[in-house]
Amino acid sequence: MIRFFLSRLLQAMPVIFIVITATFFLIRSAPGGPFDADKVVSQEVIERLNERYNLDAPIHQQYFDYLSHLIRGDFGPSFRYTNRSVTEMIGAGLPITFELAIYAIMIALIIGISAGMLAAVRPNTAQDYIPMSLAMTGICMPSFLLGPLLVLVFGIWLQWLPVSGWGYSPGDKILPAITLGSTYAAYIARLTRGGMLEVLNQDYIRTAKAKGLSTSKIIFKHALRGGLAPVVAFLGPAIAGLLAGSFVVETIFQIPGLGRFYVQAAFNRDYTMIMGTTILLSCLIVFLNMLSDLLAVWLNPRLTLDAKH
Amino acid sequence: MATDSLQQYQDVVFDQGRSPWQDAWYRLKQNKLAIISLNFLAALVVICVLTPWLAPYGYETQNLALGASGPSAAHWLGTDIHGRDLMTRLMYGGRISLMVGFAATAVSLVIGVLWGAIAGYVGGLTDTVLMRIVDILYALPFMIFIILLMVVFGRSLLLLFLAIGLIEWLTMARIVRTQVMNIRNQEFVSAAIVTGLSHWQIISRHIIPNIIGPVIVYITLTIPSVMLLEAFLSFLGLGIQPPQSSWGVLISGGVETMEEYPWLLLFPGLTLSATLFALNFLGDGLRDALDPRATSD
Repeated sequence: MIRFFLSRLLQAMPVIFIVITATFFLIRSAPGGPFDADKVVSQEVIERLNERYNLDAPIHQQYFDYLSHLIRGDFGPSFRYTNRSVTEMIGAGLPITFELAIYAIMIALIIGISAGMLAAVRPNTAQDYIPMSLAMTGICMPSFLLGPLLVLVFGIWLQWLPVSGWGYSPGDKILPAITLGSTYAAYIARLTRGGMLEVLNQDYIRTAKAKGLSTSKIIFKHALRGGLAPVVAFLGPAIAGLLAGSFVVETIFQIPGLGRFYVQAAFNRDYTMIMGTTILLSCLIVFLNMLSDLLAVWLNPRLTLDAKH
Repeated sequence: MATDSLQQYQDVVFDQGRSPWQDAWYRLKQNKLAIISLNFLAALVVICVLTPWLAPYGYETQNLALGASGPSAAHWLGTDIHGRDLMTRLMYGGRISLMVGFAATAVSLVIGVLWGAIAGYVGGLTDTVLMRIVDILYALPFMIFIILLMVVFGRSLLLLFLAIGLIEWLTMARIVRTQVMNIRNQEFVSAAIVTGLSHWQIISRHIIPNIIGPVIVYITLTIPSVMLLEAFLSFLGLGIQPPQSSWGVLISGGVETMEEYPWLLLFPGLTLSATLFALNFLGDGLRDALDPRATSD
């Protein structure tokens, strides 16, 4: 266990370093720069801006400067929003995005796993078709459609819940959490069903049935562990993606989280902001994929952490 | 009818013996919902391929005087705000959506399954290196990646497939790896190793048939997510350009005017949903049919 953590931590360093390096050069090779504005700016102003943000230095110099600042925990100033640092902006959005992501994950896991289990226990019956059709509707229904629909029904027609905002009025967190969580719930439901069906055909389940165990005992004690393997593999990147924020949902409900930075910063060529969000995402990916691999081993005692066959 | 198919079945069984594939095909044919879905999808593909000859109007043909109108005899599914026939646009949009969906999924399937299977089967250092590469690719900024690809290759549909496929294979690789590791540690694989089968024989005869279930399930999840990703990219101006359209673009356009012109959301939404439902039922049917532990009764 400790060896596993240590070796994964050792592996995480080159992963994050490669991500930082690749992204740094990738974004600078994209055409356009952070100061290409709609309004015409004089050459002199652009030169001054480049000087101020260290963009006039040779590219390898910029790279080493950035790294040395990064080691001291300084993500640099945003190129787009004057006088705001990337650390400050990410720090402001992070708690909001995290809260939303946690609600969405809980919705997704609870609904997804129970629907998938219900379906797998009685395949090709109404108990299978109804939850799976709902799941399929959830997958077909992109968040840019589900969000406005929920707003229309619960916000405008029924007037039960606020239309947008975050933390201003009671209940304004419900619609965004449902919008964000339902797609993931649908995915998890389908993966759970597939994984459970696979396991329910195995000999050890037949043995458990022959021993006369109750259905619920067979499902929860024996089948669920193996049946969740595909879900667990999917959860690592899915949760990392959720914690990094959703552009669509945050835009629809006007939530000041992190999601919009990913898209906006790419379009604005806000180099330091792109780097900041990318580093955050890579840390989340590394950490959550580690957790998800650990969980896979815990669920299946036949696997070992050292991955030696 | 029942005796006929029983007779056919027995003919195959007793005269030639059956390969696992024939077995699977036989089981699939027993699943009515899957066969209906298969026919529906085949019809959809034929319609989309033949759209330039079948479509009642040109997809840019405007009837500005008509504007947005509901379903009528001349325009079965109504027209959009520019007076363009919705059915025609759905047919042309289907060409793009289906192409993007299938092509990107095929790319992600090939790379993801190979990558994940090698990592899970070989294990050790190979596994570590392959899976850390997956981690790196997950973390790279997707938007920048797309913008760069556009600069290098220009704006093309082929590019869109490639870019989306290159992103989508990552989760497939993770799922396949976990699954292969689960199977690799089972007794029948150890038995196969002991009997002296080569690695390739073990992978093709024992591992692949056993991971096909989760892979098919994940394919039925990838196709819709790819179609929606295309819509998202187009919405940001990075995908297909107007006046071209796809189902995703039609739906996101329909969302904006859903209160005034509900049919502009309803029909594209129904088309996409029907397609995804059919894919889903076919996927489940295939999963059941290809399950190596299923009994053929």
